[in-house]
Order: sequence, then structure tokens, then C-alpha cells
Amino acid sequence: MDSSISALCTPDRSRRQFLWNAGARFPMLALVDLLSRDGFFTRHAQAAPAKNTPNPLAAKPPHFPAKAKHVVFLFMNGAPSQVDTFDPKPALTRHHGQPYKGDLTVGSNMRAVGHLMQSPFEFRKHGESGLEISSLFPHTAKFADDLCVLRSMYTDTAAHASGCLQMNTGSILIGKPSLGSWLSYGLGTGNENMPAFVVMTDPRGGPIGSASNWTAGYMPAAFQGTLFRSGGTPLLDLATPEGVSDRTQRRALDLLREMNEVHLHSRPDESELAARIESYELAYRMQTSAAEAVDLDRESAQTRAMYGLDQKITSDFGRKCLVTRRLLERGVRFVQLYSGGGHIEDTWDGHNDCISNHKLHAGETDQPIAALIADLKRTGLWDQTLLVWGGEFGRTPTSEGVGKPGRDHDWYGFSMWLAGAGVKGGQAIGSTDELGFKAVEDPIHVSDLHATILHLMGLDHTRLTYFYSGLKQRITGVRGNVVKKVLS
Amino acid sequence: MSVLRRRETTLVAAVGLGWFILPFPCSAQEKVDFRRDIQPILAGRCHSCHGSKLHLGELRLDRKTDALRGGGSGVPAISPGKSADSLLIRYVSGLDAKTVMPPAGPRLTPEQIELLRNWIDQGAVWPDDEVESAPRQESAGEHWAFLPRARVATPQVKNKAWVRNPIDAFVLAKLEARKWKPAPAAEPYQLLRRFHMDLTGLPPSIAEQDALSNPTPEALDRIVNDLLARETYGERWARHWLDLVRYAETNGYERDAIKPHAWRYRDYVIRSLNRDKPYDRFVMEQLAGDELPDRNAETLIATGFNRLGAWDDEPADPETDRFDQMDDVVSTTSQVFLGLTLGCARCHNHKFDPLTARDYYSMIAIFNGLERPRKGRTELDLPVGTPEELEREAQRDRKIEPLTKQIAELRDNFRGTFLAGGQSSLAPDVLEAFRTEPGKRSDEQKALAAKNAKALEQELAQAIPANIKDEIQRLETRIRELRDATPDLPRGYFLDEAKLPGATHLLIRGNARAPGPEVAPAVPAILARDQPVFPPPDGTSMRRLTLARWIADSENPLTARVIVNRVWQAHFGEALVRTPSDFGRIGEKPTHPELLDWIANWFVENGWSLKKLHRLIMTSNTYRMSKRSNPAYLAEDPENRLLWRVPYTRLEVEAIRDSMLAVSGKLNTAMYGPSMYPFVPRQALEGSSDPDKIWKPFDEKEASRRTIYAFIKRSMIVPMLEVLDFCDTARSSPKRINTSVAPQALTLFNGDFVNRQARHLAVRLARDAGPEPDRQIEHAYRLAFARRPTAVETASMLRFLNEQGGGQNAMEQLCRVLLNMNEFVYTD
Repeated sequence: MDSSISALCTPDRSRRQFLWNAGARFPMLALVDLLSRDGFFTRHAQAAPAKNTPNPLAAKPPHFPAKAKHVVFLFMNGAPSQVDTFDPKPALTRHHGQPYKGDLTVGSNMRAVGHLMQSPFEFRKHGESGLEISSLFPHTAKFADDLCVLRSMYTDTAAHASGCLQMNTGSILIGKPSLGSWLSYGLGTGNENMPAFVVMTDPRGGPIGSASNWTAGYMPAAFQGTLFRSGGTPLLDLATPEGVSDRTQRRALDLLREMNEVHLHSRPDESELAARIESYELAYRMQTSAAEAVDLDRESAQTRAMYGLDQKITSDFGRKCLVTRRLLERGVRFVQLYSGGGHIEDTWDGHNDCISNHKLHAGETDQPIAALIADLKRTGLWDQTLLVWGGEFGRTPTSEGVGKPGRDHDWYGFSMWLAGAGVKGGQAIGSTDELGFKAVEDPIHVSDLHATILHLMGLDHTRLTYFYSGLKQRITGVRGNVVKKVLS
Repeated sequence: MSVLRRRETTLVAAVGLGWFILPFPCSAQEKVDFRRDIQPILAGRCHSCHGSKLHLGELRLDRKTDALRGGGSGVPAISPGKSADSLLIRYVSGLDAKTVMPPAGPRLTPEQIELLRNWIDQGAVWPDDEVESAPRQESAGEHWAFLPRARVATPQVKNKAWVRNPIDAFVLAKLEARKWKPAPAAEPYQLLRRFHMDLTGLPPSIAEQDALSNPTPEALDRIVNDLLARETYGERWARHWLDLVRYAETNGYERDAIKPHAWRYRDYVIRSLNRDKPYDRFVMEQLAGDELPDRNAETLIATGFNRLGAWDDEPADPETDRFDQMDDVVSTTSQVFLGLTLGCARCHNHKFDPLTARDYYSMIAIFNGLERPRKGRTELDLPVGTPEELEREAQRDRKIEPLTKQIAELRDNFRGTFLAGGQSSLAPDVLEAFRTEPGKRSDEQKALAAKNAKALEQELAQAIPANIKDEIQRLETRIRELRDATPDLPRGYFLDEAKLPGATHLLIRGNARAPGPEVAPAVPAILARDQPVFPPPDGTSMRRLTLARWIADSENPLTARVIVNRVWQAHFGEALVRTPSDFGRIGEKPTHPELLDWIANWFVENGWSLKKLHRLIMTSNTYRMSKRSNPAYLAEDPENRLLWRVPYTRLEVEAIRDSMLAVSGKLNTAMYGPSMYPFVPRQALEGSSDPDKIWKPFDEKEASRRTIYAFIKRSMIVPMLEVLDFCDTARSSPKRINTSVAPQALTLFNGDFVNRQARHLAVRLARDAGPEPDRQIEHAYRLAFARRPTAVETASMLRFLNEQGGGQNAMEQLCRVLLNMNEFVYTD
């Protein structure tokens, strides 16, 4: 291999070494301090102290200084309609009921194509900026001046599976690492007692494609998303087995450690063996810290009410949003929340009746999202957290079938919003055509969104590469431009 | 000067007529002179981007060889004699709507374009010039992996006593050159466990430990032979192969549908390895088992190799999807068998290796006849057998077809009469609905028909006259007889080459909508001084068989090296070429190049026998070295590139899980057949869009089969496998990643599987070792680690049992600890 090539790439062979040499541990003191203020050490047997072993998820510096340290991706699974949410189209009202005469393929999957359909939701200007938001989001609208709406998003596919894959991994093909994996790989985590990348799905089911949406692909499994439940036992196999007391659990771990150290004693150079010993202590601490992170009994009644935990419709997404705030406080790098799960009307996929579908899903999520924004502002996390809202694509300004209130998939143009650290709020970037079909002004491809998110986190998407299969892989592939107008 | 003059005199007419007529050759063509006519255009308008300083698109137009080769797209910028095929003309003349060159400033004038066109059509004469310098890169054909294997002599060493076979001589020679010594031999109990784990993925039984009372090297050799003869060998080593071929039993994407009978491919691999099928034959069966002269059920199932990849049954863009599927096959084939990352050349010439886009699409042409048997989104499987067997079944079906048709007619006719005849008790509107052709029914009628279908069937069954009934019965009996005489063939999952492939075009920048020149089937040019002869089609295109024979040829520089390197990696944890699926220039050089060639030669000479190769490796002293570190060597050679010891590598999750079952006594040794479903917590299923449908209920006996029989679902890998670094199923996976992270500890310490095995083990210990705790502990150590515990270990364990109050519960906890120990998941 010639030297210029070796300078470019990190061959496979050194990956493991890289992992084990991944840098210094996050200072434990700050964490212990944070968590003991939360009071959980008093309730549990103290874990054996952590040794100074390297960890693939150890915190790493960004490419350049950035405000955002965390991302919360509010994934509106099933694809919300732009013309009913953040992209007002008076022309659509004027042409309501008329057949569409443009040249776009407006139906997907050979579904019936109906007529142009106005939004039944009223758009009003909000905040000092006068950002227009539909009546679906009365709570979120209070933060209009914080939102940066991207009205000119577009993607490469009109199918849910490949659309979710593209939004999450940058590729419509299965098996690429997800955005959360790239961020975990690039930045590590601030708290190794917690996963770096947490996913919370909808009780009605996961997104289409399931785990391929939070896979680490060709990267080590340590970078994959961890499925979290917003209550009870949040993590798989987190709970001590039934019938085993806390004391026995600790004692059994002590015995394991003792036997492993005897084994290690005559193999002192084996860092892998040492790392594996340490992983059990980390797991033990995680048993406490992860369970504690979802223990919402510690939150005041007022906070719980703000997130809508006291109302049936908002309680699930509210719990997830409140748990999100607690996860961010504990250093989790990337949290992805799914609104909608399973199929069709259980998601934002309003094929039959987009109006009542969106009323339902917006109703479930609006208040919790607004509460999360308010709470992050209250706790000071707002200044280091980036919020991303949106689905895998948008919906057609036409109805699906004549006289029916459903809308089909639209991948030529749709809306998302960003808010929080590093984002210039109170603005809408780009536009779709007069009817809201297609991005025409400042079109933003999904890879541009990824480049922008990475930029806001202090990472250059062209430099955040992973050598695999003969190529320096990027989440943006050969595409991606940072949307400069987003930046504050 | 001269250029200007020429413009004025010869091309005025063309300008006047407009440039759309230019595709037609000028009648009065004058000989175009490169230096006079062409170089000024290139220098003036092209070199700023495609010259000595910048090579945008990897294209240089300032040097002859570079210009003729073209840029990164793999299409020649200049095809002498063929201006129409030259990208240069395409781009400067505006024939390509997307790309117009030069991109800035005024377009080339029509006369300039015409000059270029004529110059190319006249042969693109470009006199060798002084600027022409050394080739762009070292002569790529001289890259070690592309050269024939060397005939190497076994090196001389000082410590001849250490050399059991030539492997040792190669390794020792390098160590002695640095005045280093190989690590001492591992302890016999360690070797015993290493042998068993390595070859079968299961620990040695206590009886097997007792049998090794006199552990001479020869006694150990006999154990290797014994293990190689076991069927558990195939179950262990097939998994290494399944990693490479991206084996999974579903398609991924939205529906993640099951690949019907894909498990037969898994069984094929296990059986092939157990029979020690020669590797060259193994290669040919998988690539072209349907084109072999002695094709049969087994070789057809083998071609499942081509169909194991992920597949989107609702692709965003069907044209691109076709090439994505072909890419999956070509990329996998070139990586697995040849150690080449040819997939990199899909959109442009390979950045590092002498592989061109033309090479890539020539390989696509080889596979381009393959089609996915399907009915819409539903994938179909196909019968498997010899051509004669298949023909017999087809004949049978041809006989059955008219009989089935007759039955249907008899029923239909009677139904018609019945519906018309007023014998039915069903309401008139229902009858009217039934009388209407299904396609012409109104929504209401459809509902009525659906609702009353059963009632009508009952009435029909009652009213059918005896003569019609008898006739139907007679026909049905006949069908049954035919089926009994020629029973259904088993079915397999593979791609079908039912019709001959059409033309394959090089795609410009990999874009399915930008076909470039047509390419013929060919193997990568750098590897074949003489291309294999692709014969005329015979039923199928015979292209894959030609490729397979070329790959499996003993002279192929890559095939044998690549496979012996993979086998070495599975034995040692690290391979001789540490990028086992990339033998190209970006890949690693071998740590022991002569050894690699020597083993590859030996392997080919010994009939491509994998079992002989295992025996060769495992009877060497190199393999039998201890894993003990040496701080001085470690400091100088932390990656063990000199092979001064055997490195520590955590066992794969399959070996860990299977060993736990073996130790607990619950391993179900049933081989082959449809996959089993390990226990998956409800919580893990919640991430799916169909949590209730994707997994089968837990059946402990079934789930206690070896892990290779676990159902591999692309959208939901069994969590225990996934968290313990199971391979990526999206593409060929040359090596398991090895991490130690907290979620693994949670799974192994708290998860259902391990705690269940700990319970079983505690019961087994009480049963097999009697009531005394120290005897039970000893028994447990022997089962788990193939050794007896030390006094210190026993004391610690006893102390734990006492603290926990003794009894079964305490022993269960002890077993839980035992199964989690580092010694359990590492050998030695």
C-alpha cells in the first residue's frame, strides 16, 4: 500500500485497535455528582469503581466548536402532509376540487388519484416572526420564533421502507449506519453508563423496516440505537432476573469479577479481557442509571401535567418527551422518538382520511413537544440541543380518490423543522410550487439535512468517514450541502 | 494562425447551416492535424480542469494515454475512429442534456466540434509528445495479489526441532531473523478445548478429556482427525461461510418477506463441508450449479448464493433496482471468491485498483440473465433435481393440467345450470350476484357473493348429480395416481436463467438511465492476460459457468490465496492478509507472503481439500503455540504480525451460545431443516411494525438446537446474536467485529437464555456429580473449561455458595457466574 493511500484510509484491521484506543474516559466525577444530586446512589449498593479502560463510546471532540451536543429527532412516522402543517397554500384553496394538471406522478403504488384538496386547517402567523403554522399545532406554535421550517425538503423514494431508511441512514438501501450511529461514532457519549443513541418507538409498533432504521450497519454494534421503553424496564435485559435479590446480583458480579481477575492475572497484557470485566460493572451501573432515567415519579405534578401525562391522548408521547429530557440530562447523544407505528392510519400515513389522521397524531404530539421545548429552555439544555421534526416524506396536495379526504405520498416536496442549538428560528427556508407538490426554491435533499445536522453538531460530513469495503463511507455518500440559512 | 486559417476556409458552410447537421460527416474532409488543430482547443478550453494541475472527474486531456483512457466514468473520452462513442464529443456537442462541456464560458464553436469529431473519426492520431511522462501509477499489474503464486521453497531454520511441517519453518524463519522465539506450546487441556471449539464450536466432554491421558503431539493429531470427521464440524464452519455470503432468510425492507426454502442453502453448505467437497467444485456449484453438466438438486440449491441478498419488493426506481440486485451479486462474488472490491467500480473506475467500470459491467453481463422467480411481490421457489427429474415432474404436470381443467369445467358447468335452474334457496339478488362475472360485480354484489359463498358451496355439494360427481372423482383419482407415481420434487430458492440475457451496457456514473457502450461478458482484464472463452449459449447463457471455471482454475492468482487466508483467519483470529476480502492495493500486504503462497499451492495440489488444510494448520507447532503474551515482543509488534503467539479472540456468539447449551446438557443436536426461533423478549419485538406476526412462540426444545439453525430475519436479528457482534447481513461480511460493551453483559448476565442454562446446569451437576458442592464445582469446571479448578478457585466458589445459603438456588447463581466468565468466552 503506498503511503498516500494509507494516509487517506483507516484499513479494517486497525478498527478494533482504534476502538480500544479511543481516548480518555469521560470524567466520572461530574457524572457521579449529577446523579447523586438526583439521589439514586442512596438507594442502591455502590458499584465497584470504574477502572480506566478505553471504550468505543468514549467522548471525542468535534471537528470544530459547535453549540449542539445532543439531537432529538421527533420522527413523524408515516409522512405528515406539508400543506396541512407548515406549508400554507392559498392557491390550493382556490383550486380545491379541480383535477391536477401538472406533470408530476402524484400517486404512489398505482393508488387512485383524486383532485386538488385544500387544507381544512387554518394557517395563522405566529410570534414576532409571523411564521405560518396550521391549527394542528397550537402548542408548538407558541415557539414559532424558535422554529426553522424547511419547506423545500425532497427525497428519492415514495415508499415508506426506503423513505425511512433514507431519512435515517442516508441511503434507500438496507444496511447503512443510521444518523445516530454516525453521531455516536463521531462524538461518543458523555455518559457511558447510558447508551449513546436511544430509540423510543410507538406502542402501536415500530416503523417499517424496524431495526434497520437504527442499525449501526457495517460499524460495530456499540454504535447502534438502543430500544428504550419510556417506563418500567427501559432496556432489554436490564432488570435483574426474577427471584434474584439486589444483594445476590452484586455478590454474583463480585464473584465473576474475582474469577475474571484471577484469569487476567496471568494474562496481564490482554486489554480485551480487562475491557470485558469492566463491561459488567458498566452494565451494573446502567441497571441503576437507565431505570432511574425513566422513573418519572421524581417529576413534579406540574411538570407531568405540562407534558400531558394526565391525559390519555398525550400521555404516551408525553412520557417519551419527558424521558427524553431526562436522557439528555444524563448525556445521551441522540434520542429518536417515533410518533406513529405499525401501518397506515396508526401512523401519519393518512391515505384514507388525512384530516382525522393528522388531528389524531398532531393531538398526541403537539403538547408534549411544546412542553419539551419549554422544559429544555427551563433547564438550560436548550442551548445545546438540536430538535428535528419530520417524517420520511410528505403527502400530495391532491386527495387519494375523488371526494375522499386521504392524501397519497409526495416525495418531491415536504416540510420539516429544526430548532434549538445553533438554529436560526422564526424562519421558513425554501418553498414548494404554488400547489405544494414540489420543492422549487432552495430544494433541500435529505443528504443536505444530514450534512446540516452534522454541521450543527460540529462535524463536517465530508470528514466524518468510516472505511469499509474499499471506500471511505459517508452518511451523505457523494452528496450533501450544509443549508447555511439554517445557521444562527 | 494555421487554425484560424483553416476555420475560415473549410467550415464556413457548417456554421451557416447550424450545428444540428454536424452529426453527418463532411464530404470534403481534410486530414486533421493534432498539433495544429486539436491541441489548441484542448489547451484553450479543457486543460484548466483536465490538465496537469486539476484532473476533475479523474480526466486528463493533456496526455495521450490519459485522454484515451478517459476519466472516472470508465468510458473513453476519445474512441479512435468512433466519434459517436466518444464522451468528449457527447459532452462538447450538447448531446447529453445533463452535461455540457466546457461548463463555463462560451460553448465550443461548431467548427471546433467538427474538428474534434473528424480528428477522432480519422483515428485520433496523437503523436507521442515530450509531456508524456511516467504512467500514472506503479504498474498495477505487478501488484502481488494479481501475479501468479510463487513456487517457494521451505526456508532453512536453526531450531529444526520446532518444525513439524513447513508452516512452522516459514513462521520460525521470520522470528529467528529477529532473534525471537515462538511462544511455548499451550497446555494440553487448552489445546484440547481449542481444537474442539475451533473445529466444532462445542467444548470437549469429560469423557473426551479423560481419553487424553497421554497428550503426545501424535495423540493430539488423532483428535484433530476425529473432530474433522464429526458432523458438528460442518455446523461450525458453515457459519463462517454464511457470514461471507450475506445469508439471511428474509428480504429486509417494508415487508421483510421470508425467502422460501433459503435454509436449504444453509444445509447445503453444512453437508458440503462435512463431505469435504473440493473447494473448486464448491465455488462452481454456487455460481453456476444450474449450468454444470451433472447438475442436480444439490447444485441448484447451491446457486441460492446468488439470491441471498436483501431485496426491496417495492423499489423506488425499478431500473436502478435491477442494477442494485445485480450489484449485490457481482460485489459479493468478487469479494468472496476473489478478494476484490469490484463494487467500487460501479460508478467510476476503481480509485486504487486497476479495475475499471468496464470490468464491472462486463461482470454484470455475466449475471445479467438471472431473474428472480416471483409473482408480483411474492417470491417463488422452484423445484430442484437433475434435468431428468425436472423433466419427469414437468411431464407429470403437463398430464395433470388438462385433468384439473376438466374438473373445473365440470364444476363450472354444473354451477351455471344450478344458478339458472331455480333450485337454490338463496335470495334472487344473491343468485344474480353469483351469475355476474366476478370482474363485473358491483361493490354490493361482491359483498353478497363473499357473504354467501359458503352457503352456495354447500348447496352445490348437495345438489351435484351422481354422474358428475363420479366423473370428478375419477379425474381426481387419476391426478392422485400421477402424483404418487412421480412425487413432488423438493423446492429450492435461487435465481433462474430462463431466458438469455439481453445486451449489457456500461452505465455512465452508475446511472441506470445513462447507458454507455455495450459490454461483452468478461472477467477483470488485469487478472486475465487471455480472457476465458465464453461459449455460445446452451439452454442458459453458460456465462456463469465460464466465470466459475475461471475462478476455480488452479492458475487463478487470487482464488486459492483468498480461501486459505480465510481458513487461517478462522483458526488464528487474524489472517495472513488482514483485509481478507480486499487483496487489492488498498488492502493489507500479507504478513507472510511466502507462507501464503506455499499454503495456497499445497492446497491446490491436495485437491482443494479444506479438511486437509485444517489438518495441515492444526498439526503445526505454530497453531499449537500458547496465547501467552511476551511484553518485549508485544511492545515491538503489538499486532503480532510476526506470529510470535496465537492471539486472544473472543468466541463468536454461536460458539458461546452452543457451548452453553452443551454444558447445561440441553443441546438439541437435531441437524438440518427449517429454522428454529430462539426466545425473543416481547420488548424486542415492539420495534417491529408487526410485533405479533414476526416471531414464532418459544419452544424450548427446538430453540435449543445449534445457533446456525436460528431464523435470521433481516429487520429483527435475535437480540442475543445482534448484541454479541453477529455479522452484518446486508452484505458480505469477511470478519466479525469484536467489542466488549455493557449491553452484552446485560444480555449474558440478566437475559433469559443464560439464566435458563444456569438452572439446567445446576440440575445437571446435582445429578451427575452427587450432592457434594466441591464435586459439583469440579464437574462444572471440567464441563465449561476442560480443566479442574485450582484450590483457590474452589475456595472462592464454596465461600459464595455458603454466603448464598447453599442449595439449588446458590448453585444456579454459581453456574450463572461460570457461564459469564472470560474463560468461557475465550479459549485458553
